[in-house]
Amino acid sequence: METTDINLFVRTSEETISDWNREKIVEALLKETTIDEPTAEEISREVESIIRKSGIKFITAPLIREIVNAKLIEKGLENERKMHTRLGMPIYDVGNLILHPNKENANVPHGPEATNLTLAERIKKEYALLAVFSQEVSDAHMNGDIHIHDLGFVDRPYCSGQSVEYIKKFGLNFPHTLSMAKPARHPEVLLAHLVKFSAALQSNFAGAIGWDAVNIFFAPYIVGMSDKDLKQLAQMLVFEFSQQAVARGGQAIFSDLNLYWEIPKHFENTPAIGPGGEYTGKTYAEYEKEAQRFVWKLFEVYKEGDGSGRPFFFPKPIVHITEKFFKTDGHMDFLYHICDVAADKGNTYFVFDRGETTKISECCRLSFKLERRDLEDAKRPWRMRYCALQNVSINLPRIAYLARKDDAKLFNLLTERFLLAVRAHKEKRAFLERLLSLGENGPLALLTMRRDGMPYLRFDIASHLIGMVGLNEMVQIHLGEQLHESKRALKFGLKVIAHMKLLADRISREEGMRIVLEQTPAESTSYRFARLDLRDFSPFSGKIVKGNIAEGKVYYTNSTHLNVGVRINPIERVTSEGIFHPLIEGGSISHIWLGESRPSKEAIADFVVKTFKYTTSDQIAFSPEFTTCNSCFKTSRGLKKKCDYCGSEDVDGITRITGYFTKISSWNKGKLGELVDRYRNEDFFTYSKKAAIR
Amino acid sequence: MRLKVDKPQIKGFLETSFVDWQGHMSSVIFLGGCNFRCPFCHNRDLVLFPETLESVPLKYVLDRLKKFRAWIERVVVSGGEPTIHSGLEELLRMLKKHGLKVKLDTNGSFPERIRSLMEEGLVDFISMDVKGPIERYEKWCGVRIEKERILESIMLLKGSGIEHEFRMTFVPSLHSEEDVYEVAYLLRGSKNFTIQEFRPVNTLDPSFMSLSPYPREKLERIRKKTKEILFC
Repeated sequence: METTDINLFVRTSEETISDWNREKIVEALLKETTIDEPTAEEISREVESIIRKSGIKFITAPLIREIVNAKLIEKGLENERKMHTRLGMPIYDVGNLILHPNKENANVPHGPEATNLTLAERIKKEYALLAVFSQEVSDAHMNGDIHIHDLGFVDRPYCSGQSVEYIKKFGLNFPHTLSMAKPARHPEVLLAHLVKFSAALQSNFAGAIGWDAVNIFFAPYIVGMSDKDLKQLAQMLVFEFSQQAVARGGQAIFSDLNLYWEIPKHFENTPAIGPGGEYTGKTYAEYEKEAQRFVWKLFEVYKEGDGSGRPFFFPKPIVHITEKFFKTDGHMDFLYHICDVAADKGNTYFVFDRGETTKISECCRLSFKLERRDLEDAKRPWRMRYCALQNVSINLPRIAYLARKDDAKLFNLLTERFLLAVRAHKEKRAFLERLLSLGENGPLALLTMRRDGMPYLRFDIASHLIGMVGLNEMVQIHLGEQLHESKRALKFGLKVIAHMKLLADRISREEGMRIVLEQTPAESTSYRFARLDLRDFSPFSGKIVKGNIAEGKVYYTNSTHLNVGVRINPIERVTSEGIFHPLIEGGSISHIWLGESRPSKEAIADFVVKTFKYTTSDQIAFSPEFTTCNSCFKTSRGLKKKCDYCGSEDVDGITRITGYFTKISSWNKGKLGELVDRYRNEDFFTYSKKAAIR
Repeated sequence: MRLKVDKPQIKGFLETSFVDWQGHMSSVIFLGGCNFRCPFCHNRDLVLFPETLESVPLKYVLDRLKKFRAWIERVVVSGGEPTIHSGLEELLRMLKKHGLKVKLDTNGSFPERIRSLMEEGLVDFISMDVKGPIERYEKWCGVRIEKERILESIMLLKGSGIEHEFRMTFVPSLHSEEDVYEVAYLLRGSKNFTIQEFRPVNTLDPSFMSLSPYPREKLERIRKKTKEILFC
């Protein structure tokens, strides 16, 4: 029988209704797979026969494709079936997505743009797992041995650290943009360029966009500005970033502002670039006062909060404290100023760059010692562009379940998983290399532009992050004690991380690619791993995972953190958690949850200075909780069911999820479980002394 | 009112506090027992039934203080009322011997004790609770008391060179706004007068637990006006 004899219409993906044409199947098979023509013909006839017998009148192209796939399986043509896969989603899921918010990343609001983002991510994720990564790596991700972060952004690098100097020197001049802007002459224009460039970068990276030494690089532009105008500029900067909710998928740009009180040594003698991209004839050391005035104003803005007194979610202010900080005039006043913000709004991140080796923080607070090449770059800071290509986290508790208290087995498995993560990195790296090789006509054109003679994305010095989730639970399974419960447990935890660090260093050397450990924020990964292990290692895992099992609000403790729910003196927490930080270059942090309490700025400053002096902690942040009212638009301290001011129940709770502030209503179940457990240091920060008196 | 001849038992120990010594981290030692019965007191058991509370061995406290020595060089001795114990000096001497700075929380009912502690150099900071205007003191502190003693303590602190602060817990329904201002007039010239917010938790008189805390905005207004009185 000839194909035209079938009285059948096909709804195609080109939004047309066509007559049935068996040859289309053959064409697709020959184009997309390695199958030979006779087999393709045979399959198409068999499929036609199935459809004819069904008596169906309308059929969709995707359904035909799946019937063809079924035939490929029947014939044992597994590889061909893979190549012939169709990516997409069930109608039910799409409907849900459009109607309900995405809980995987609390930084994604709900709306049509966000839905687009999620839909695209879903398809790219499937593509990544089928086409970018090997089967072994994909399977390890799917079953939760490892987690490859941001798979939906497989066609972009992960995160990046930028220099304002680049836009000061080159203006805004991207491949394929409609207009080209010369270097800014006025601070407001520089600010606009900064925010626009951030938005452009957000479209080319999966995660954070960090800016180095922002107040220092702005300094030459603000000479002679009045206090009032400077405050206005600071306000514009913070609001412009925090309200950039019109960019990718309605997501605010995950933006970091790295700030200094002192001019760090590596920028002291750097020739300063001023208005119009011209050298001013001075060094940055000579702009200390302007840089300080600007950073002071920025923190005034953070202290005030947004229009309803809420903390700003983005951009995150990250203050670097180097040894020179303590020798710089006015440092205690500034410290009180930013501690006031920390106590009141929680925004301030305190990053400790100890010792005489210079460090800078790139994306994800990835800090590293500046080597000679970097110090050379510091004289031409526009070159200081860093990025991490990808982040892969290892499920540590899983390894401990499998090792059954056998040390050798545990470390062997850890090595195995680590190598798997490295393999995932190599596969992603190869894929990105392909995309970048297409240059300014390729998808990552922006990252290949060569305004200063080298590609914007410095691929050769890119990092590859390997994270860890649930060290606390791994040790608990292996030794029967959590990290905070004994010295032995803490020591063993350290041994595990040291093992990972050694692997990272060795493989970096051998493979010639920079592999560094990161404290993965694991906003959804700690939930995902816990859920999967609860399924696969029950009943034992039921005693290990944290959170509320009955409500499904389960999680593993993040990275190398101590149990978040235990009453531990904050001094001991930063000290114990800090011992891991020298081994982990990326994103190491200790959180001090404050809840409702509001300690004095002086006491916080005392704690910060001593943390710098007496611990090896890389970074700390204090996190208060807030309730913001949608009726009267006022914000009060603590998580409340009703508004303190007007009694309305239409309120949102706000606090730090991992690395940023957000509304609790957008959190995933695992994080909600963690929120309940968080020990809020009320014994240390409030007058209620319940736990002290028994 | 008589002194208890005893070695004070430590009924609570907080290694780190960010709020008990303004501007610094400190440790806090709680001693049991009190000669007052303030209805709004939130350390009910510590005041009424100290013997039911577990004692913390002094050695343990000193060991922990030693461990955190680099971080914490200040200890607050609180209660209850520390000055009712005759053995208080001995405890403070021990803390001083360890090189710690000491703050004493007191209700000011034993001015002669306070004087002798100051003279021996056993305290670096004194924080005195003023419960309300002096002439109705029974109403605030729940017992009969010679009001002159409270006044004497206030004058003693104001006239001494030692660092000190006065604190008053403002309890809605018990205190009126005017009461606060009256205390402020009494303390005029003193820089350090803190008005604390009442919290309806674990109060000595259980009926106080049903009180709602005073609206924060109003409290801020009272604080502002108090400052004007103090500094005019």
